[in-house]
Amino acid sequence: MKTTIQFIPIVILVVLASCTDVVDVEIQTGPERLVVEASIDWEKGTNGRVQTIRLRKSTPFFDEDTILDVTGASVTVTHDASGTNFVFTDQNDGSYRTSSFQPVIGQSYSLRIAYNGEVYTAQETLTPVTDITNVFQSREEGFETDILEVNVVFTDPDIEGDNYLFKFQRQGDLLPDLEYAEDEFVNGNEIEWWYEIDDDEDIPPFRAGDVVDIEMYGISRAYYDYIKILIDQMGGMGIFDTTPVAVKGNVINATNPENYAFGYFRLTEVDRTSYTFVEDGQ
Amino acid sequence: MNKTKGETPPFKITICLIWLFIAGSMITYGQQSHTISGTITDKSNGETLFGASVFLTGTTIGGVTNEYGFYSITAPAGAYVLNISYMGYTDVNIQINLNQDVKRDVEIAEFSTELQEVVVTAEEPERAILRKPEMSVVKMNVATIKQTPVVLGEVDVLKSLQLLPGVTNNGEGTGGFHVRGGAQDQNLVLLDEAIIYNTSHMFGFFSVFNADAIKDVKLYKGGIPARFGGRVSSVLDIRQKDGNRKNYGLTGGIGVISSRLTAEGPIFGDKGSFLIAGRRSYVDLLLAAANEDNRVSFYDLNLKTNYSINRNNKLFLSGYFGRDAFDFAGIFENSYGNGSGNLRWNHIFNDRLFSNLSAIYSRYDYDLNFDQDDFEWVSSITNYNLKYDMKYYLNDKFSLDFGVNGIYYDFDPGQIQPTSDTSPINPLSLDQKRALEGGLYINAEHKLTDKLTAQYGLRYSAFSRLGGQPITEYENGLPVVYNAALGIYERGEAIGETDFARSESIQTYGNFEPRISLAYLLNEESSVKAGFSRAAQYIHLLSNTTAVTPLDVWTPSGPFIEPQLSNQYALGYFRNFLDREYSLEVEAYYKTVDNRIDYIDGSELIGQNTIETEILNGEMRAYGLEVLLRKNVGDLTGWIAYTLSKSEQRTPGGAAGGPGINNGDWYNTNFDRTHDVSISGSYRLNDQWSFGSNLIFQTGRPVTYPNGQYLYEDLSIASFAPRNSDRLPAYHRVDASITFTPKKYKDKRFKGEWVLSVYNLYNRRNAASISFGQNIETGANEATRTAIFGIVPSLTYNFKF
Repeated sequence: MKTTIQFIPIVILVVLASCTDVVDVEIQTGPERLVVEASIDWEKGTNGRVQTIRLRKSTPFFDEDTILDVTGASVTVTHDASGTNFVFTDQNDGSYRTSSFQPVIGQSYSLRIAYNGEVYTAQETLTPVTDITNVFQSREEGFETDILEVNVVFTDPDIEGDNYLFKFQRQGDLLPDLEYAEDEFVNGNEIEWWYEIDDDEDIPPFRAGDVVDIEMYGISRAYYDYIKILIDQMGGMGIFDTTPVAVKGNVINATNPENYAFGYFRLTEVDRTSYTFVEDGQ
Repeated sequence: MNKTKGETPPFKITICLIWLFIAGSMITYGQQSHTISGTITDKSNGETLFGASVFLTGTTIGGVTNEYGFYSITAPAGAYVLNISYMGYTDVNIQINLNQDVKRDVEIAEFSTELQEVVVTAEEPERAILRKPEMSVVKMNVATIKQTPVVLGEVDVLKSLQLLPGVTNNGEGTGGFHVRGGAQDQNLVLLDEAIIYNTSHMFGFFSVFNADAIKDVKLYKGGIPARFGGRVSSVLDIRQKDGNRKNYGLTGGIGVISSRLTAEGPIFGDKGSFLIAGRRSYVDLLLAAANEDNRVSFYDLNLKTNYSINRNNKLFLSGYFGRDAFDFAGIFENSYGNGSGNLRWNHIFNDRLFSNLSAIYSRYDYDLNFDQDDFEWVSSITNYNLKYDMKYYLNDKFSLDFGVNGIYYDFDPGQIQPTSDTSPINPLSLDQKRALEGGLYINAEHKLTDKLTAQYGLRYSAFSRLGGQPITEYENGLPVVYNAALGIYERGEAIGETDFARSESIQTYGNFEPRISLAYLLNEESSVKAGFSRAAQYIHLLSNTTAVTPLDVWTPSGPFIEPQLSNQYALGYFRNFLDREYSLEVEAYYKTVDNRIDYIDGSELIGQNTIETEILNGEMRAYGLEVLLRKNVGDLTGWIAYTLSKSEQRTPGGAAGGPGINNGDWYNTNFDRTHDVSISGSYRLNDQWSFGSNLIFQTGRPVTYPNGQYLYEDLSIASFAPRNSDRLPAYHRVDASITFTPKKYKDKRFKGEWVLSVYNLYNRRNAASISFGQNIETGANEATRTAIFGIVPSLTYNFKF
């Protein structure tokens, strides 16, 4: 065997143009549906009496600024054990309000909406949430270690089966971010839940002086299953993402089941706070 | 025992036919015959040749060599000329006086001693292609594969196969392949008989098969011989080179992404040979140089050695080990890979009875290490396979394959281990699963008349899900229930567990799998073939994503998961014309698969101990027409391949109730492609310059797009159309390559060549996916296309000495 291997300098020409761009796509238009945003959220430290339910219509996907508010519906929530009715009055802007709601942790409530000759119903239980015990900023957590993130600290209760929804929104930003969590692998532990804004987004990461609003909700398992699909499908559809599906919530059309509503009737306890980032010398 | 209505008659018929034909053959051939047998090898390196055609000139008596180069033909006493031919090799004719049994090993030489040679060969050249009932088979020569222009200059077995009819991928940047509308896990991929569970490196940019270590590649798209079992769509049988028995040599290549080196040569005097091949990517080094935090790399190692104890006994040892590693900026690390080993013993009992015993190990595992949260996630599948195959060459009209095999599986669906005391993660181990799969088969190749040849066989497969784990019990026995009020599928209520001891069997299944095909010679240049095959598959890859990922987990059949069962019917027309310079193959197929797993909305598969709560039992069907027109000889060679096909699935609610997934309607699978056209050609200008080109056009992949939006939680939420009811834009591209062999090496032993290839010549931005979401600044919905490869030129230097 001859042994001289000559390593010849290799000219490398790689034009690896892997990137993304915004394109025009033809899509289908599905049926218009009632959208029920019936979020009865009981903020810690309040009496939870003032509650709002919003009704809208769905629109074609690429339609901008067409929010179809639904007015003229009759909206009632009933406390199942006592039969007490809470009537939500039409504010004529798509919202329906009561100021006499009586939230009780662990109790079941029913929603009834009569609209356009059809009756929609839903049932859900008010789910508690543990307290946020601390909020702090750091850099070393998160996907990128050189940018700021906020950490929300709480202790998961000992009994397994707690589910969480987080909502983060930097003041001044257009859109909030939703995240979900369950305690399957972390039951009973103290948890530090971090949130950061990626460097490669169109908006800048957190800076000193930014204020971020934080909401932590206790949610039912059924709502967890629902919101998880909803969040996973936002901006997804890459090749390693799950095939997206039409997500059905818990609002049933009792008159015409085919014409089901989007949205959800949820009852949660929520801990709200906000955090102002400070200079950390970096 | 899983029995369906249609099963019994084909099985009975097969048994009857086998007895009838064996008896018939015995009676007809009582006269004085002798056998000529031996091994056909390549003159230059001693590699045995698989599929070489061996004929007695002027008769219709002949056959082809098996995987170990062995042939055996029996003819009435007399003087003959033995003709040996193999695509790309010079024919050899030998005078034989057959008045006793003859052993004759023959060496044949390649036409050319260049690095690159011929084109895709069909099963075997000339007349035999027409006579042999085996259909829906593609055999690819490694030389051809090396000639095909590929992305980043990395020679790729799987990408070359995708240029043929009936074989597609799931888009750029995805691993695996799909055969005749079948899913990726329905392909049995064998490397020296060992099962390879993941065929891709770097999420599918490259395949795990190092072309320098491979001798031949054979893909059975249908008409799967009875000796193979366990997958319902196809068998990809890849054999490693044995190693040069005559000379020591080095082969290598230096490319943009990776480099490879293969060493081979004789050992044990002239009794054996070895081959060691290694390949490593250096993207990680480039990324490091570019100050990137992310790392990506792969390597693999192929080993093969053999030893001839004597003329009738030969041992082979082969191994493969490959690994991918990713490091995402210190957040988490991921590594995965296959490992396999096979010890084989070839034993020739006599001139007519060949046998092979194999003991095979293979494993696929992955490891995810989350540095930040201090925990590790591991998962694996391991199997041990013992298999004994025999081939009996009864006479020139009849040969028989038979054998038995048993596979023991260990499934580790996942374990979580905290990697520090301060880790917030609790340890967890999913139930470890075990199973045993057995197979028993007999298959006859029978020349019924001068024009009609049949291949018929039967496989019996059995599967036992072994104990050693608990099985969850559900209310009403339903792991998934339909919530009629909400119109969704929900996880069933667990009411208890049954513990099964390791010695117990949780569930057993058995299936008869008849395989029949016929070839009828219309004239010397054309034939028609027809085939039917049934196959059972007992292990399933769980994947609810658009493309299979390296982190998907295999699961065995059991109490809640039935084995997949396929029936495939195929009809074909084969013709050679213009002095056999051109050939045309047309095949139509129809395939059904029962018990195809489908996933409920929102299914969660990773870290899932009770897979049964996430799935429903569905079915698949696929049909299509494949046309392959090839030019086999001359300076310009190549082919035009066209496939018109449909692949769909349907999942009714069944016991869970309700309409089923996607309303119980048939819907396109992720890998449905209506039209698929590949034109591949290579042109040899002279000894120094040759050119290659591919043109590919495919209907876009089925996808699910939004069909509406609504405001919820201050966000625009998309609602989606029925599953896979939209399509990505059509995929098309052109590739080209130029190979230059400098003259100075012409007569020396050292041979080098430069390959310049350009992938996606006109820089088409083919969509790998299109995502929909809100613009973070304006709030408006928009569609974002991800295109993986634009134009990609690359340069590789290959050498051999």
